[in-house]
Amino acid sequence: MTPLSHYLIFSALLFSIGLGGAIMRRNVLVVLMCLELMLTGANVALVAFSRAQGLEGIPVYDAQVLALFVMAIAAAEVAVGLSLIVAMFRARRGVESTSLTSLKD
Amino acid sequence: MNPAVQAILFYVFAFGALLSALGVVALRNPVSCALSLASCLAFVAAVFFGAGATFLGIAQLIIYAGAILVLILFIVMMLNVKDEHPAAGNWLYCVLGVLAAGVLAGTLSSAALRLPGSTGGRCPVHVLLEHADDLCPVQGSAQAQQPQTTAPTEYGGMLPPISMRDGESDVSLLGKNLFTHYNLSIVVLSFALLAGAVGAVAVGRKLRRD
Repeated sequence: MTPLSHYLIFSALLFSIGLGGAIMRRNVLVVLMCLELMLTGANVALVAFSRAQGLEGIPVYDAQVLALFVMAIAAAEVAVGLSLIVAMFRARRGVESTSLTSLKD
Repeated sequence: MNPAVQAILFYVFAFGALLSALGVVALRNPVSCALSLASCLAFVAAVFFGAGATFLGIAQLIIYAGAILVLILFIVMMLNVKDEHPAAGNWLYCVLGVLAAGVLAGTLSSAALRLPGSTGGRCPVHVLLEHADDLCPVQGSAQAQQPQTTAPTEYGGMLPPISMRDGESDVSLLGKNLFTHYNLSIVVLSFALLAGAVGAVAVGRKLRRD
């Protein structure tokens, strides 16, 4: 069997890759995908802890319910985020985050 | 399933997920990024299956790969997004991103390796080699089958195996918990989804010029 720490390290690496991508990339669509990666990393940690806290071989399902809520909120977030990106494309003719400089100039 | 096979499958799927996650960050074309994200999420769903969370694995496949990924691909193709070319001054953000990701990964990993009861924050490969006897399918798998009767106070050891009673399954237990303890939360969540859908339509509509 796998120890809990390996699940947690996997989740931490997934989250960090998502964070690094969200900082590095300029394409707003790819930044949205990196946010999805971070949410998935958090879900992996939740599932691993639900398994580790289990009594008599039955996992604690509170954590899995929370992971399900995270998935539902991620779906709503993507719907709103993509419509914002479409509105931004209409206004700026591009999806680069460097084109959002109205306040600066 | 055999515990050794399960452990090996976890490492294979986790490696695949991390590799495709790196693909999301590194690839230039947004369509390649989206497909890489799809494979990463499918690998994570396989990890969920291995951890015994079958319903979450299926929900992950349906919601992420079925709904979200199709939506993202649809938008990418509708907007006709070009490849991203490195611009001047972008190396600063690259250094910043790698630094932040590395510091966060190191902090979280060292915290995970120093869980109470763990073997003193050593390399996971060494820990795995020490437990090689438990992983061997020929001997030592008998004590792994014993269900645990108390919640662990030490998280450093192996995860307890899953043993369901007769007539119970992952889906039924999750559903029972969801619709009894979290009944109010799921109503609030449905309102959040409705607000998301209305907000998407409101933001995405064409503005009148007056």
